[in-house]
Amino acid sequence: MKIRFRGSTVVTALAAATVGAFISVAVTSTASQSQGQAPRPAETPDGRPNFNGVWQANNEAHWDLEAHEARPGMVTQPGVYEYEYAEVPAAPVLALGAAAGVPGSLGVVQGDGRIPYTAEALSIKQENAANWIDRDPELKCYLPGIPRAMYMPYPFQIVQSDDKIHMTFGFSNAARVIHLDTVDLPPDYTYMGHSLGRWEGDTLVVDVTEFNGRTWFDRAGNFHSEALQLTERFSQMTPDVIWYEVTMTDPQTFTEPWTIGMPIYRRMDPNATVLDYPCIEFAEEFMYGHLRREQLVERWEGETMIIDITRKIPPGDELHQWYRR
Amino acid sequence: MSRRLLESFGTATVFATVMTLLQLTAVPVEGQAPPTTAWGHPNLEGIWLDVYDTPFERAVELGDRELATAEERAARDEARMMSPGRNRRGEDGRQDVAGAYNAVYTSARPAGPRTSLVVDPPNGRIPALTVEMQRQNEIQQQWRLMLLRNTETCEIGAPGCSGGQYGEPSPDRFDVAPFYNTGRMNRHDGPEDQSSGDRCMSGRTPDLRGFRRIVQGADSVAIGYDTGQGQGFQRVVNLSGGHPPSQIRLRHGDSRGHWEGETLVIETTNFSSKFLYRGAGANRRLVERYSRVDDDTLTYEMTIEDSTVWTAPWTIRQELKRQSDEQNRIYYEPRCHEGNYGLPALLIGARMDEQAFAEGSGPNPFSMDTATCVNGLQD
Repeated sequence: MKIRFRGSTVVTALAAATVGAFISVAVTSTASQSQGQAPRPAETPDGRPNFNGVWQANNEAHWDLEAHEARPGMVTQPGVYEYEYAEVPAAPVLALGAAAGVPGSLGVVQGDGRIPYTAEALSIKQENAANWIDRDPELKCYLPGIPRAMYMPYPFQIVQSDDKIHMTFGFSNAARVIHLDTVDLPPDYTYMGHSLGRWEGDTLVVDVTEFNGRTWFDRAGNFHSEALQLTERFSQMTPDVIWYEVTMTDPQTFTEPWTIGMPIYRRMDPNATVLDYPCIEFAEEFMYGHLRREQLVERWEGETMIIDITRKIPPGDELHQWYRR
Repeated sequence: MSRRLLESFGTATVFATVMTLLQLTAVPVEGQAPPTTAWGHPNLEGIWLDVYDTPFERAVELGDRELATAEERAARDEARMMSPGRNRRGEDGRQDVAGAYNAVYTSARPAGPRTSLVVDPPNGRIPALTVEMQRQNEIQQQWRLMLLRNTETCEIGAPGCSGGQYGEPSPDRFDVAPFYNTGRMNRHDGPEDQSSGDRCMSGRTPDLRGFRRIVQGADSVAIGYDTGQGQGFQRVVNLSGGHPPSQIRLRHGDSRGHWEGETLVIETTNFSSKFLYRGAGANRRLVERYSRVDDDTLTYEMTIEDSTVWTAPWTIRQELKRQSDEQNRIYYEPRCHEGNYGLPALLIGARMDEQAFAEGSGPNPFSMDTATCVNGLQD
């Protein structure tokens, strides 16, 4: 084994260089050693923050980047009262009870907490939210795009080299490569973007371009066009926490650039490993179930709940029309 | 517009019967690569490709001879150049559609120095299947032939019906398949009747044909595969920790690596039963070895064992050539599923055929070959 920085002496010496990092490094080292994992220094040999490992956001940004109250269902319908705050879970999630709600959040959008949509884009966003089931690419297991992949409720792994940083996401085996060296542009627009990175001091700054405009930011219908350009900043808060900040620029959709920020945490679990979330097969019944010769889903009978769902798909959102977007 | 067009080429189509690779042109690069990473590991980074066309198994008459003569390589190149590929045209549209991916889409790699990818056993041939695996293969074969029984393919004795007979539609044709299907069959009741390629799930480990991008970290190695019509995938090899418990089954298995001298050794277990490699599912175990022999060359060895499938382990060896990092000619965004017009179109087509038959305005769907398209191509 040629791994440098093995052994507690080196780890401790490194950690002592920054007092703030000391406790976390010592804890990381102790915890991982007790689980048979190699100790991980806070810095790479060339003095950069060491982002190697398994990471995951721990917030509600995947539901809605903006501040929002808790809701009783992922989809809701008017209840007894007409007030918006008195809605009840709608049929698609009713059978899931209290597990089908949406947790509240203070939001991750900096400044006034609102996304600065143009008037036209705001109406599209509201339509998106009203037609979430039919429009959200996540439900179809499409590639989530950046930045969405960074804060979905699935872990991802960073493999950090000198001139490439590779991220593999649990959701649908998606990935991105951040190029710290010079590469040609991709031959086509992309879901996951084309990422060019550089170090500004201890901060990894990544410009992401070449988006195809088909991805969303969250489950609330927040979206962008193919003019989207990102600037991401990865800063080491502690060896086990990254402060992740992204500025979105898209003049076709937003009146001005806007920024989100959140911590992303190292998964400290013993033997932390990104397991597949192989959702292509998970989404097949959702996408193609109605095309079976014999339907698998039947009305429930007897004492078992029967739910009739009338799912009206608005014009333009039928499955085959999706492919034309 | 041309980008949109390109995108549609990157998507899956259901009617293409063979998963072909986009034409791959090797672009070797020059320049010295550092022999080790900053943290002292041998440096395997870059985009790598087996630039040669090599038979998977060795021709029996070559015995234990591992290397081909210059004459033999020239003859293989000549034979490939003279082959019409799949440019042939049939009399009806179905056959044309089956050949939609013609020679333009097919790899044109030159014949390599080896007589086979398989290097162990010494005769270059995959060991015999177990009796149980032969029985399973027979069950699958009989099932697929049963669904073809009433088609023209069997009536004229086309290769796609090899081993089968022409006759009335089988009374078993609506049964659930007696195995977990990953191949193409002449029935389209739902996604499960389609091949894993049609469902954008054909990428599987090991993959030997496509580009591999290796990115190395101090405690993990990422390998991105660009293969098969937008069906590429990612693996992360952890250099620490251990395999998850046996009830965890993963499409590409769980890979753990360590360094033996200059060689990265990767052991992969915990495979899923749903994603097969040459019939091997959950019980397969891989040991892969990557080592750098010079600036532009990696040697790759893969030993696979699955005592439920083969009577002995076997090993392949490849030399991988470094490709230009700057040109970055790797398509690491597999988005077959995002553009899979083919699967819903095929299911809709099947429902329309059934309706037409029920209304007396179309033939019995089981009399039509929508699996091999008569010409015998199998997925």
